[in-house]
Amino acid sequence: MKELTISSDAPGQRLFVLGNEAIARGAIEAGVQIAAAYPGTPSSEITETLARVAKELDMYVEWSTNEKVAFEIALAASICGVRALASMKHVGVNVAHDPLMTASYIGAKGGLVLLSADDPWAWSSQNEQDNRYIAEQGYIPVLEPSSVQEAKDMMVDAFKLSEQFRQLFMFRSVTRIGHARADTTLGEISRERRKGQFVKDRTWLDYTPREARINKPLMLERFEKIKKAVNILPYNQLKLADGAKLGIIACGLSYSYALEAVNWLGIEDRVSMLKIGTPHPLPEELVLKLLTSVKEALVAEELDPFVELHVKAIAGEYNIPVKIHGKDLLPRIGELSTRKITEAIAQLAKAKTPVDFASIDKLEQETAPLLPWRPPALCPGCPHRASHYAIRVASRKVARDYGKEIEPIYPGDIGCYALGYNPPQEASDTIICMGASFGIANGLAHVIDAPIVAHLGDSTFFHAGMPPLVNAVYNKANITMVIMDNSATAMTGFQPHPGTGYTAMGDETVMLKPEEIARACGVKFVEVVDPFNLKEATETIEKAIRFEGPAVVVSRRLCAIIEQREKKKRKEAIVPYRIDPEKCNVKCNACIELLGCPALIKEGTKTVIDSSLCNGCGLCAQVCPYKAIVLE
Amino acid sequence: MVKEFNILITGVGGQGVILMSELLGKAAVADGLRVRGSEILGMAVRGGSVTSAIRIGDEVYGPLIPTSKCNALVGMEPSEALRNITYLSKSSLVILNTAVTAPFTVFIGESSYPSLGEILEKLGKASGRIVQLDAAKTAQTAGSLLATNIVMLGALFGTGQLPIKIATIKETVESHFPAKLAPVNIKAFDLGYEACQQALG
Repeated sequence: MKELTISSDAPGQRLFVLGNEAIARGAIEAGVQIAAAYPGTPSSEITETLARVAKELDMYVEWSTNEKVAFEIALAASICGVRALASMKHVGVNVAHDPLMTASYIGAKGGLVLLSADDPWAWSSQNEQDNRYIAEQGYIPVLEPSSVQEAKDMMVDAFKLSEQFRQLFMFRSVTRIGHARADTTLGEISRERRKGQFVKDRTWLDYTPREARINKPLMLERFEKIKKAVNILPYNQLKLADGAKLGIIACGLSYSYALEAVNWLGIEDRVSMLKIGTPHPLPEELVLKLLTSVKEALVAEELDPFVELHVKAIAGEYNIPVKIHGKDLLPRIGELSTRKITEAIAQLAKAKTPVDFASIDKLEQETAPLLPWRPPALCPGCPHRASHYAIRVASRKVARDYGKEIEPIYPGDIGCYALGYNPPQEASDTIICMGASFGIANGLAHVIDAPIVAHLGDSTFFHAGMPPLVNAVYNKANITMVIMDNSATAMTGFQPHPGTGYTAMGDETVMLKPEEIARACGVKFVEVVDPFNLKEATETIEKAIRFEGPAVVVSRRLCAIIEQREKKKRKEAIVPYRIDPEKCNVKCNACIELLGCPALIKEGTKTVIDSSLCNGCGLCAQVCPYKAIVLE
Repeated sequence: MVKEFNILITGVGGQGVILMSELLGKAAVADGLRVRGSEILGMAVRGGSVTSAIRIGDEVYGPLIPTSKCNALVGMEPSEALRNITYLSKSSLVILNTAVTAPFTVFIGESSYPSLGEILEKLGKASGRIVQLDAAKTAQTAGSLLATNIVMLGALFGTGQLPIKIATIKETVESHFPAKLAPVNIKAFDLGYEACQQALG
């Protein structure tokens, strides 16, 4: 029997999948033809999954240089009548915001879905913004699933709805949908493949002020139709309990927690439930039915009180005497949980909680001081560790010429190297958004008299690093820009990018070189170094910092994980280093304190190298003052 | 019918926590069970704490195990098991790999690692029973240190409490690995299974 996979046309069969694979499957079943994205946790696996089966299923899938471009690619396909998906993490939508706000005036011809992967608790993000507000700003309807299965089903319908209402839809996922796993029942795969047709229609597609004024009313009309239609969508469900005084309105994933909470409390027959699958626009008729049947209502949703405010507006407009709770009992920060909703409902229903949470909290508080601090660390053999070290040594040397108290400043960026914010690297002073390292450095140059050494990765450079680099040249910012080129978008799972020489679908392509781009942009100091040649890297970075005007150093070395995989393929052995106990000064600890490599461990007072972790980069051998670290 | 059975696997990036939950999920589906689960990827993978929940049963909706509702906690690393103490109750079973992976913050004096005794005392207070084993050593006996997670998977089944059939999980393990590595992993599973059964008496 052929093994069941994500591309199997096997309706009714069950497959154990990651939420993001289920979302990809939904797009496959819908017959999506174009998928574009920039990697970002927790969204990346959607496009990875689609890219893997693109050729088999006759789809076009690409990793675009950034989210704005990705969204524009999907929009173009939709304009030509082809179904298209653009996927990105929540902050990626900020990058795509510009075309998005006008795209909603255009609407959709081929089904157009923007997937926004929100990240409550900012597990792998710089903030926990709630993108339902972005959707609201553009009158973009939002679909939000409560489970992995629903995510798959909803994605199929998202394309249909988009075409039915000629409007683009936002599909809002969260970390615990995209990175959840569940058994998922597959549906039929659409084999329809359309040929794109571009119809010249300036009134529809050429946005001068005239077109904005013509198309906004049309968009508002579409939105009104959607507002009515969401009342009968299966994703919004009202279950009224006879005589219930309490109603729960739960949006997206919160519905799953709310179901468990009500069961745990054993009060299923005493509460009415409204499941919300379209937070924007809300199913007003269903909300009204619930509000008029109860005395109190609790809105359960993650992050901001988006549904809550709209529910309150409906109650106010229709003058319904009901007390509406939400963020007074549930947090705006982080993820919700069965426990949090259980406690909120228990308070409103005046029910006893099923377990004594206070005693569990007490145990947790007693335990916390015992736990070791385990920050995520750069991998053994990671070239970023060497780049950070070289940057620190070089910049501190130059800083002494600026004055005794002067500290160099290290604007950092989004990627694995953000881990250099932890000790012992401590080489990332700001992390704000993609490309902001170079942008912030530009600004610092005009107000701070100290060496300013910004760094970002190769993928981030192509994404958002080029405009601030050009700006530094144009506006003469005296900064050093280090591009840590490890030939991968490593943090999100090693996706290819314009510098890697191949595409999402595995085709070979041109390999763009950051150093050539920097030179072409007019940077007069551009050097390429190997960070594992620590001496040369440090000296070159020092020269770059001393250079008057913007300088670029490309610190190039393949990502340690990719290198390890390639060595394995070539059947090449990884030769670890070891510490010669005769030469090692046990009091020194320099290797651990300077590098923090996970392979350097203590056995009693002795420092040893864990040969199962060491990848043989030799960085520790270069920093050891006693030359005690040698090859096995 | 299984109503609700919750498994939490805790450990450190690189210990194979995610693979264990994938194997459990696949086997559960093969046995016709409903499965939900969730894990933390991204920043946490690189040497940080990793947890993965697998929830089996008809009355499971959310991807996360509610406070105190863990039936079996598989601790790949002692302090990481302790970090997840709020999932336990007196009806929980803990299967603990006693091999310590200390973070480098301990080596540079920025934090300290508790003694195994302290960890066992706290876990003992919170749970019903603890099964300890040196899974790394057992994996080496089976033929590969890399099979430590499969030893722990075997131990989890050795509790005799899982709603998944042993034949199904073994088939799932066997078909996951290339033919050359499958026997080592099956042996690792069996040794883990036996070790747990012995410990439980």
